[in-house]
Amino acid sequence: MTIDPMKQFYFVFLFLLMGTGVSFSQDIQEPRISGFFPGISFQRFMERVEEETPYHFYFKSEDIAELTVNLQADQSKLSDLLDAIFLKTDFHYSFGNEFSVFISKGEKLQTQLPEGFFRNVSRSESDLNGEVDEAFVRNNRFVIGELAPGQTKAKLSGVVRSLENGEPISGAIVFEKIDFTRSVSAPDGSYSIVLPIGKHTIYIQNLGGYIEQRLIDLRGDGELNMSIGESIYSLSEVVVNSGAINHISRPEMGVQTLSVNEMKKLPAVLGEVDVLKGILVLPGVNTVGEASVGFNVRGGAADQNLVLYENSTLFNPSHLFGFFSAINADAVESVELHKAGIPASYGGRLSSVLQVKPKFGRTDKIGGSGGIGLLTSRLSLEGPLGENTTFLVAGRSTYSDWVLDWLEDRADFNASRANFYDVNLNLRHQFGEKDVFEFTGYFSKDNFRFDPDTVYGYQNQNFAAKWTHYFNEQVEASFSGGRDSYDFEIIGEDNPLNSYQFGFGIDQTFAKVDIRQDYEDRHIFNYGIHLNHIQLDPGKIRPYGPESIVIADEVEREQALETSLFFSDEFEINDQWMVSGGLRYNLYNYLGPQTTFTYPDGSSFSEQDVNGEVSHESGKFIKTYHGPEFRFSARYSLNNQSSLKAGVNSMRQNIHLLSNTSVISPTDTWKLSDGFIRPQTGIQYALGYFRNMALNTLEFSAEVYYKTMRNLLDYRSGATIILNDDVEQDVLNTDGRAYGLELFLKKSSGRLTGSVSYTYARSLLRTNEAETKEKINDGDEYSSNFDQPHHAVLILNYEVSKRFNATFSGNYSTGRPITLPVSKFEYGGSERVYFTERNAQRVPDYLRLDLSINLEGNHKVKKLAHSSWSFGVYNLLGRANPYSIYFVPQGGALQGYKLSIFGTQIPFVTYNFRF
Amino acid sequence: MMSKKVIGIACFLIISLLGCREEFEPKISGSDSRILVVEGYLDTDGVSSLLSLSYTQSLQSDIQDFPKVLGATVYLEASSGERFYLSEAGGGDYRFEQDISEEDTFVLKIFLPEGESYSSRELKPLNSTDIIEVDYEKNEDGVEIFITTQGDENTDDFLWTYEETWAFKPPFPSNFKYDQELKDVVERTESEKYDLCYRSEANSALILQSSSNFEDQLVFRQPILQINHGDERLSERYSILITQKALAPDATEFWENLRENTDDLGTIFSPLPSQIQGNMVHDQNPEIPVIGQVGLGKVSQKRLFIDILEVYPWQPEVDDYFGCSLGADTVFVINYEAEFRFGNKVPTYPIYTVNGLVPIGYLYSEERCVDCTLRGSNVAPEFWED
Repeated sequence: MTIDPMKQFYFVFLFLLMGTGVSFSQDIQEPRISGFFPGISFQRFMERVEEETPYHFYFKSEDIAELTVNLQADQSKLSDLLDAIFLKTDFHYSFGNEFSVFISKGEKLQTQLPEGFFRNVSRSESDLNGEVDEAFVRNNRFVIGELAPGQTKAKLSGVVRSLENGEPISGAIVFEKIDFTRSVSAPDGSYSIVLPIGKHTIYIQNLGGYIEQRLIDLRGDGELNMSIGESIYSLSEVVVNSGAINHISRPEMGVQTLSVNEMKKLPAVLGEVDVLKGILVLPGVNTVGEASVGFNVRGGAADQNLVLYENSTLFNPSHLFGFFSAINADAVESVELHKAGIPASYGGRLSSVLQVKPKFGRTDKIGGSGGIGLLTSRLSLEGPLGENTTFLVAGRSTYSDWVLDWLEDRADFNASRANFYDVNLNLRHQFGEKDVFEFTGYFSKDNFRFDPDTVYGYQNQNFAAKWTHYFNEQVEASFSGGRDSYDFEIIGEDNPLNSYQFGFGIDQTFAKVDIRQDYEDRHIFNYGIHLNHIQLDPGKIRPYGPESIVIADEVEREQALETSLFFSDEFEINDQWMVSGGLRYNLYNYLGPQTTFTYPDGSSFSEQDVNGEVSHESGKFIKTYHGPEFRFSARYSLNNQSSLKAGVNSMRQNIHLLSNTSVISPTDTWKLSDGFIRPQTGIQYALGYFRNMALNTLEFSAEVYYKTMRNLLDYRSGATIILNDDVEQDVLNTDGRAYGLELFLKKSSGRLTGSVSYTYARSLLRTNEAETKEKINDGDEYSSNFDQPHHAVLILNYEVSKRFNATFSGNYSTGRPITLPVSKFEYGGSERVYFTERNAQRVPDYLRLDLSINLEGNHKVKKLAHSSWSFGVYNLLGRANPYSIYFVPQGGALQGYKLSIFGTQIPFVTYNFRF
Repeated sequence: MMSKKVIGIACFLIISLLGCREEFEPKISGSDSRILVVEGYLDTDGVSSLLSLSYTQSLQSDIQDFPKVLGATVYLEASSGERFYLSEAGGGDYRFEQDISEEDTFVLKIFLPEGESYSSRELKPLNSTDIIEVDYEKNEDGVEIFITTQGDENTDDFLWTYEETWAFKPPFPSNFKYDQELKDVVERTESEKYDLCYRSEANSALILQSSSNFEDQLVFRQPILQINHGDERLSERYSILITQKALAPDATEFWENLRENTDDLGTIFSPLPSQIQGNMVHDQNPEIPVIGQVGLGKVSQKRLFIDILEVYPWQPEVDDYFGCSLGADTVFVINYEAEFRFGNKVPTYPIYTVNGLVPIGYLYSEERCVDCTLRGSNVAPEFWED
């Protein structure tokens, strides 16, 4: 980057015109405009601006007579608004001293600069310490690079930042409209685009935002850094969705992103915006029941999903046993789910990676947001801490038991109490130009009491730090490390003599180096190392209270070290082909100290087979497993609107959730792979067709996949999971396969937006042939607990006005498989049921409709806080969707029952505010 | 496992939190397979004990009685080859009344009339300990009945089952009846009395506990059941007979599976149902399933009585008696036939004039509110102690 005299000119120019200072966070003094201007005259618009701000307009009345304004603004700069209003008109504006604004027709006053000034190779709007005259940047042609003989194309690169807070914007599209060449900005805001030498109009589109334009005269390779507004919404503009472009241009498939804004519109139980429940609207993602944050991706079990908050693993991502997800939406930027095409830098779980991207504080001023709902209230505060540091702190808590009291009046239970809270702290610090330090911390705690004597509690504790260094334009590296822990506890005080305390816990310490390197424009290398040390306390019971005669017992602690090396290359072969391939090599060491039984070779570890016992010293490698994981995906562009993609990826998983129930339940414990329980492995093949229609406003995709899995765990009859020292005697080595078709259609712009998805999927298991303890269903294939072949989701959002929108959602799926008894017999003084085939029957189909209405308050700039209401009804039909069917002896005879979680409509209301 | 039961209870309560349950009869594409069911815990001290043989039946079947196995040959074979036969006692039951060595091992053999035969795995008599105490304790919600027992090096796992019997009165006890022939109200004879009845209920509950979970293997005050305020069972006099059986380790698993399949299913966090097998094997084809866990040992029983005076005040609320009241009008002699002929109205309280010896009429109530024999027997069971 070279410095030229123009910079100084800009500087002086801005200083005079704007009367503002020089630092990044100084634009507080510039009046901001908020409001809804639906087709009003420009005259009226100016009057309103003059009422609310110190600006004063100077104009000729006859010039502006026919000009109208059709905009929604939220904390926008006047210059941004005027640019939007004057786009494609002959009007110009310029700012004078003391907030005077001059409107002119035909020729811009004063500010036009001769082209000859721009001779520099590199241009950047924001080189001027952030404060930029938007009108200036928009209407001027930037000259980029130097002409070189014979060169016909040149590369334009740079960084896209937010005009509001200077943060890099990820996912912004930079494109030109003639050949539709485009590029999407990376997480650090960087973009690059190759264009023919000559004059171009470059458009920049932020996700769901307004389109900005820049005029360039491209003469050679060069740089253009751009700041774009995020808060103006155009009512008439054709919105190009960055997701839509990504949709067809990225090589990987099965990746889906939901922004928090999208999630906020979805109806939710008791009005809690739920970042995990939000992904259930995506094709291929399903859940067996409402009381479960556990979700199943493409026929995989709930423990096969890696839920990451930045780099921290959340072992229990739920509150209240699954009614709510554990992550506060205020601390989340977006959620990205990888169902296939999982990047090589991630690993450790078989089915999917759910990357929750944390939100970092804004840079301009201290602000915050919050909400008051029926069950919880939340508050977050964010802003700058000094010049280069930002913070975000968010908390959420149940503040009253009144909902439970209300429910208590309507249900037959007593003494139930539940409360939880969670806290997020995110810090970001910028060291100079090339280094960024980020810290994320998360803590959550839950307590429940369903009867007066038994208290359940659990807590998540995660913190991680990440240092990102930009070596040069091509290479960036991030170094991260942190610790994740999860603890669970039950205290039973039914009787002082039998009082006990039961608990288990997991602690994980990790370090990761992740390097991204651009190589010769067409390659993006990603490589690094990931170390993970897991310590597991599988379970312990202790007497509770001085009188208790319960005998303490503890399952021996376990520990293991996971080392993974990864390398991947994303390679754009030509306009049609783009491939991405990766390899992750996983080395797993199960470490002592540990005392285990020994079994003869080839046995399947049943109690009768035990032939000895052996003790391993601390730190000794008891068992080592290692193997490669392959990731490969390719995209072939059929044309600008459609592409074909294919992918293969294999995964390994060394930690298993022991769960003898169909959903994640509180007593499920974790188990590390050991000498007897092997790592789970899986491979998935996928093929997809992606098409955008109607100017990228409609996205369609069709994907098929086939997946095989080995070393899954199922359980023999009567298996004991808690406090079992020899789990290998109770688990059955199981193979699985899953396949499916996913169809997805999404409309992302216009007043009516929404999506419809349909999935046909199967998930089947079979006890491994070598297993001798028990063969479920005689060794035949059987449905997994979450094998729900048909699943359809419809989401419709209608925007009545900018301040009033309504979302309707519908969810249908085949009932989950269940093992039902086929016959009955008399035993122990009562009729009993006899079960035969596992999961051979199904509960009735699931159907649920929800409605939510979101009302925004007005956007007067002087208002202390901006508020919104959302209210609606969950389960509009009041349909009692059966979760389970079972038989209970009643007076010696069997009676069948069906159980549903929500048997009625659940209304909700939430008040949200931000300031 | 200690905490399991508590978890079970808590889980049940979660459902009441938000869930709702409805009666439901699913359509099940069932198999009609008949599986032999063997139940018995044979006493090794020569005390009469029964082994019962029956078959499973389809879940949808409305037939109350399960098909019984008649005419089978059943004996216990000691390791020496000595056989101890069981005698057929009718209704699929086979009686065992022999004193056998508690040091030996045995195999139970069953030969069905059809020619198939079944054998048990090797059985070792369990030297069970006696119940130390059965008692109750008043608590906030009512009364909790508990048992105290102690295991030893041979007996660790226990199974308790219980039967309950209680005396009760209808809301409007009466000693009168309308005599159709005399067309008058007369006093009931002793055998016709319906103001105090006895009701017995077998219970499906299976309570399991391991003494090794506790210090000195003392299972102290293990809760058996809770009776809440308003329950009719304690409204007059109540009796519970608790049976304790010591279990071999494999038997514990069978009963635990049976219990889980009965009690724990259907809740949000329910375990997957287990396949029930036991310790019997089909001789000709071991693949053929058979249900049953037979045991040898000593059954220990204890009976407890609780009188209303011990728990007073105790106001019963019985669904069957909901809405019971006395008729507003007195039925005078002249109307006896018209009002009492059909039996739905029953004379309850006589009304006399100031000096009269013969009632001029009766207050009446509905039959269901007066006649306790609709819900029980008016004959006290043999074991009953007042």
